[in-house]
Amino acid sequence: GFVGAVVMAIRELKVCLLGDTGVGKSSIVCRFVQDHFDHNISPTIGASFLTKTVPCGSELHKFLIWDTAGQERFHSLAPMYYRGSAAAVIVYDITKLDSFQTLKKWVKELKEHGPEDIVVAIAGNKNDLGDIREVPMKEAKEYAESIAAIFIETSARNAVNVEELFQKISRRIPPLDPQELENNEAFKLTRQPPPSNKRCC
Amino acid sequence: MASTLVKPCLLDRTGSFFKLIDAFASEIGELKQEMVQKDLAHERDPQITGMQCSLEEDINSLYLQDTMGSARDSGYDSLKRKISILDRLTQTHPVWLLLHLSDEEAARILQQQPPGIFLVRKSTKLQKKVISLRLDSEFGPPIKDFPVKESQYTFSVEGSGISFADLFRLIAFYCISRDVLPFTLKLPEAIASAKTQTDLEEVAQLEVGFWDIPVCNSKRTPTPSSHPSASNSVCRLQRQQQVSPSDSLPPLRTRTPSELECGQTNGALCFVNPLFLEVHRQEGSSGGSVKRSKTRESSTQNKTRIPPPRPPPPKTQIKPTVKQMSMPETISWVRQREDEETMGSMLNTSPKKSIPVPPPRPWKQMSVPEVESRRNAVLADHTIQQALERSRSKCPQMEPILASSPSTNTLPGSQEQQREEGRQRLSDMSISTSSSDSLEIDQSYPLPVGPAGAGDSSLEEEYGVESDQDISPPPIKSKKKHSSTFVLPRGLKGQFRKVSGVFNNFLTPEKRMVRRIADLSKDKGTYFGCLVQDYISFSQENKDCHISGLDMLQTIRQFITQVKSYLVQSSELDPPIESFIPEEEVDSVLEKAMHKCILKPLKSHIEASLKSFQVSSGSWKQLRDNLCLVKQKKPQDLGVDAAAPDSVVIEKIRHKFLNMRKMYSPEKKVVLLLRVCKLIYTVMEDSSGRMYGADDFLPMLTYVLAQCDMPELDTEIEYMMELLDPSLLHGEGGYYLTSAYGAMSLIKNFQEEQAARILSSETRNTLHQWHRRRTTQRITPSVDDFQNYLRVAFQDVNSGCTAKTLMVKPYSTTEEVCQLCAEKFKVQDPENYTLFLFTGETSQQLAPDTYPQKIKAEIHSRPHTQPFHFVYKRPSNLNICLPSDEENGNCLSN
Repeated sequence: GFVGAVVMAIRELKVCLLGDTGVGKSSIVCRFVQDHFDHNISPTIGASFLTKTVPCGSELHKFLIWDTAGQERFHSLAPMYYRGSAAAVIVYDITKLDSFQTLKKWVKELKEHGPEDIVVAIAGNKNDLGDIREVPMKEAKEYAESIAAIFIETSARNAVNVEELFQKISRRIPPLDPQELENNEAFKLTRQPPPSNKRCC
Repeated sequence: MASTLVKPCLLDRTGSFFKLIDAFASEIGELKQEMVQKDLAHERDPQITGMQCSLEEDINSLYLQDTMGSARDSGYDSLKRKISILDRLTQTHPVWLLLHLSDEEAARILQQQPPGIFLVRKSTKLQKKVISLRLDSEFGPPIKDFPVKESQYTFSVEGSGISFADLFRLIAFYCISRDVLPFTLKLPEAIASAKTQTDLEEVAQLEVGFWDIPVCNSKRTPTPSSHPSASNSVCRLQRQQQVSPSDSLPPLRTRTPSELECGQTNGALCFVNPLFLEVHRQEGSSGGSVKRSKTRESSTQNKTRIPPPRPPPPKTQIKPTVKQMSMPETISWVRQREDEETMGSMLNTSPKKSIPVPPPRPWKQMSVPEVESRRNAVLADHTIQQALERSRSKCPQMEPILASSPSTNTLPGSQEQQREEGRQRLSDMSISTSSSDSLEIDQSYPLPVGPAGAGDSSLEEEYGVESDQDISPPPIKSKKKHSSTFVLPRGLKGQFRKVSGVFNNFLTPEKRMVRRIADLSKDKGTYFGCLVQDYISFSQENKDCHISGLDMLQTIRQFITQVKSYLVQSSELDPPIESFIPEEEVDSVLEKAMHKCILKPLKSHIEASLKSFQVSSGSWKQLRDNLCLVKQKKPQDLGVDAAAPDSVVIEKIRHKFLNMRKMYSPEKKVVLLLRVCKLIYTVMEDSSGRMYGADDFLPMLTYVLAQCDMPELDTEIEYMMELLDPSLLHGEGGYYLTSAYGAMSLIKNFQEEQAARILSSETRNTLHQWHRRRTTQRITPSVDDFQNYLRVAFQDVNSGCTAKTLMVKPYSTTEEVCQLCAEKFKVQDPENYTLFLFTGETSQQLAPDTYPQKIKAEIHSRPHTQPFHFVYKRPSNLNICLPSDEENGNCLSN
């Protein structure tokens, strides 16, 4: 009995959620975590911190999703939440121009103080409310491209593009090269190699 | 030149790290000597006489006869007369448990052995432990590796459904049953036929050299003098005779039954298997092997002077030439998490490199009840019996009948019967088990413990509460539901005390290991014990050596991390921790042990210090005032848009926080914090039915913390933030801890907030610093980080490079440090030397009135800390440079 077990490496990836209060940060994540609910996944105590494991290529990505309070008064606490994050999802409400301005502030702060190589994803939520839209999709998309961020419009309510948002993030996380894995078996230094912009899958 | 000096060249990171620890410890030792008079006068107890055992022709018959015997009288007397296989294995593990042995070495050794002889080692190819078994060459390759599968607290041979609590039990089982192996494992003749403990000890002394002795297969006691490594062991044996082996052995600690955790689902997992019952008489001290190693330690000590014990050699026991090369890779697997915390920067490996990521410890992310129940899934001796029974009934998918049995307090007698049945079936050695349902069975296996009573005997173990405090247990619903803790009536305790050695084995392997390490930490005859005890007394006696509470906590955390690394690399834990604890769990078990060894004794000291720092800085008063202010706010004022907990719930929460204060373990504290948060969520969600994210939760938490009106919580949170295992900071515990910290900061700055709308920039800076510190700490702990120690290299034309760690207070000037250096390095002409700071490419001479510790702190607080060194040298001395590989403590003075 020699069993060559194929071990799928689970990588824990901290993901931070930023954005104005009321734009639907936690709704997006709740939707993401609850759809295809897997009873094997250990539940968390509340919706501010959620986890979900998704396959990506030959790996499993376990997202540890840190929600932040969007109110201005909590703004100064944000560094504690985004430190060590592999990715940040900045959410705005397509029906609220203000929330898009806040988003730009977050982008700036992340560039200045955030982890190096953090994957930034911009999510325009509530795209089911297209008729009262205040932020044109084109404008947001161009902005995202200018900062090399992922861009997607979502609807947490209708479960539109939620899965896709996290898939896009997963793909931006550099894979663990299997060759490297063999060569460096002895040098397992971090559980979470910092992400870069290399694409995988 | 400066660049060569500071370039981190740490390929031999293990070596240098080890030396770092070494240097640190010896310096601590020196400091300690100056402060405390140590008493080394050990009482020499007469050597424990080895037990006389009758010689058996072979293991199987010994084994069978053994068990048959005990089946007849079902007492301990008949067992005492013999040495079980497990005992033989445990005591001779240095011979067959050779984790760092290479493929080639293993092949070389086994090829000279008859079929059935085996070694247990770690295969570098498979990155797993394997049983290397000598096969019958006629039928194929002479040697085959059988991988050992490790899951949570269990070990099994791949392909088999039978799991064991540790490697020794696994091997013992395969010595009598082949299961998935081609045949049963065979012990070398010298081990199989040893009559006494002494015989076994002699064999064990030979370690890997045993295999090179031609007589190792004969029944004679080995005559090792002909072999180089054997002659080593003879020397050791001679030394051992000078020093009684029992002198440094801690007394067998007996515990009252009330100290035992006998709850059905939260402990008591290592059931005494009748097969190996007698083994347990020696457990706790791990029999002769621990004795032996400790003797070795103490025998090397200088008895007239009082040096701290030198660190024992690292685990690698193979030839020195091999050692150097194999160490980094062979050790790393044990230290995966250790690496990420401590070794990262030392290796100078780019973090961007794709690095294999060990799978996470799943239970860390689980909710509390789940963790508890999973923990219990430890398979132990009785699994063997289960398997045997299953094989007899030829029903691999057997239902867990025992588990579902309603009579949870099965009487010892009926257990005994079951055991007997199990024993009789031993004649059927060949078992095939395909099911893996044993987990469930074991989980709810009934315990043969007497009448149920109230009380939480295991509270200390379970919750990390200081044992000297009489407290009520934190109410945990999930636990209450399915566990009942048994406590024996007082009258019975005396009777049971006798067999507490046996009860010791009711503990999970984890708890046993934690206990073992805790015992070791109190033994000043060991290097580890010295390190810990010196640190504890140093901390307690030098209350003014920290500039802030934060500073103190950081120092402690770094010490914990370092000692953990040391323990993994050293050979003082003997047998090695990996033979009891699956690799995945090693770090978390060590972390627990460190909490017990270090935080438990220091808890009250830490609390008092934190409080006094708070009071003296005025922040205590500010916090009190602000708490009063915020307490009067309605939930709406704080931005809460959901149902808030009423006074009853607040009282409940206060109670949980009070319990939290009694615990020393940061992890246990975090568990309680999570319960508080869960309670808040429940209140919020129950009234609305919707889920709440941070937008609602954080203001609510702020409201709740203000309502609780407990200023002590501030230091509680600080304690957890700084002392929690860094690997947990990204998980749920880390998240809610961060939130609690944020909420507390908000309260502390509430008045300012009203004026300035946002938190003070000071708080903001603090947060940034915390972030940096805790992130950096995972990469770069070194002796330099120890706040009150300063590592200074000494460069001299004649003697080359040496380095020492000096105790330097934050406000010591460069001038004072120079004086200290002159003294420590024995410089005759101190006027010609001065202190330099080497940073990156540059070096600069430090002015006499500067503060080296402040400079160090400043450099550490930079976002991208460059390697730096303090060097005590002649100003114009440019013709000598430190070789790059001698930095970080490789160039030591002794």
